[in-house]
Amino acid sequence: MELESLKYIWHSLEVPPNLLRDRQSLVVLLQKKSQAPVARMRRNLIWEAVLLLTAYTPAILCFLFGFEGRLAAISWLFIIVLAFFFAYYFLKYRLLRKMQCPTCQLRSNLVRQVETLKRYTRFYLLAGTAMIPLTYALAWFIIRWKFSSAFSTLFQRLHPTPWWGSSGLWLVLLIPLTVGMYFLNAAYINKLYGRHIKKLQELLRELDSE
Amino acid sequence: MQDPAIQETFIRLVSEHRGMLYKVCRLYCFTDPDRQDLFQEIVLQLWRSYPAFRGEARISTWLYRIALNTAISGLRKQKRLITSVDPESLPTELQDIQYPPEKEEQLRQLYTAIDRLSEVEKALTMLYLEERSYQEMEEILGISQNNLRVKMNRIRDKLRKITQSEAYGIGKS
Repeated sequence: MELESLKYIWHSLEVPPNLLRDRQSLVVLLQKKSQAPVARMRRNLIWEAVLLLTAYTPAILCFLFGFEGRLAAISWLFIIVLAFFFAYYFLKYRLLRKMQCPTCQLRSNLVRQVETLKRYTRFYLLAGTAMIPLTYALAWFIIRWKFSSAFSTLFQRLHPTPWWGSSGLWLVLLIPLTVGMYFLNAAYINKLYGRHIKKLQELLRELDSE
Repeated sequence: MQDPAIQETFIRLVSEHRGMLYKVCRLYCFTDPDRQDLFQEIVLQLWRSYPAFRGEARISTWLYRIALNTAISGLRKQKRLITSVDPESLPTELQDIQYPPEKEEQLRQLYTAIDRLSEVEKALTMLYLEERSYQEMEEILGISQNNLRVKMNRIRDKLRKITQSEAYGIGKS
């Protein structure tokens, strides 16, 4: 069968009668939310941010104004963590917004998607991996800061540095944990987006091939 | 977008072109629920982009761009797209439409041929069947007209081979 003869069949194709014949069903459709994964990811991100804010705010207020202000440092710690999360959400949201341009030409939209998705996954990977050393550094700092006065007392003279206070040990544990987390994140991200990135790249290759 | 006049114009636009939108869905999805999902997604993308449409491009170019971008490159659920296609469900499967047997057979041939094309080839074939000019195809897809002509020749050959092998029962168990 030739392509020309397919034209006749193509033009004789009819639209199913149940497909938005009436105005009302279209109006209802316009009120719906997009179910595309990118739109859903953006909505989830907003919900995650709201949830985090709702969970952290009472804790921050409690430590800031309760206990006669003696535990205010903890609330500052929470504020710092919250600020990190919000910076992360903001950057992620911005990348998600940039990801698609439905009114662009198919090729340029594909290029845009591949580039943004790669940046998105790179950011995801870096943020996920950096979380370990950051948490680690924070925990180490709290322990050193909290127990610094204890170290200078008699206890320190008896046992200069407890095993958990040794910076070397922390460093030795930090490296395999960070490396492990990197590979774990990389595998997870690849599972989530790897196939889609590959599919987009294949489409681009096909468009460009002559 | 709340302006009732804009909404009314948009509804008229979609109603006028719903045939084209349905064909895109039919081309890229194998099952009825998937087609409904894709149709809904395309309409929502059109609705979202409509306020920014200034008429620089032809309305058909704008519609095809959004429909094809949503169908091809939209990060969509892969599950139902990738599942192996049941050959029994391939013929037409246009619910609620009863065609005469002769036309039914022609449609079966059309879809059997088109379903074996790649996603890019499907887009090109559709634009060709819709009698879009190479100029407009270039504006929609973003590839040069020379490249488009080369690709169209390849698709012609491919379709010929597919329909020949279908006619002789090659590849059928």
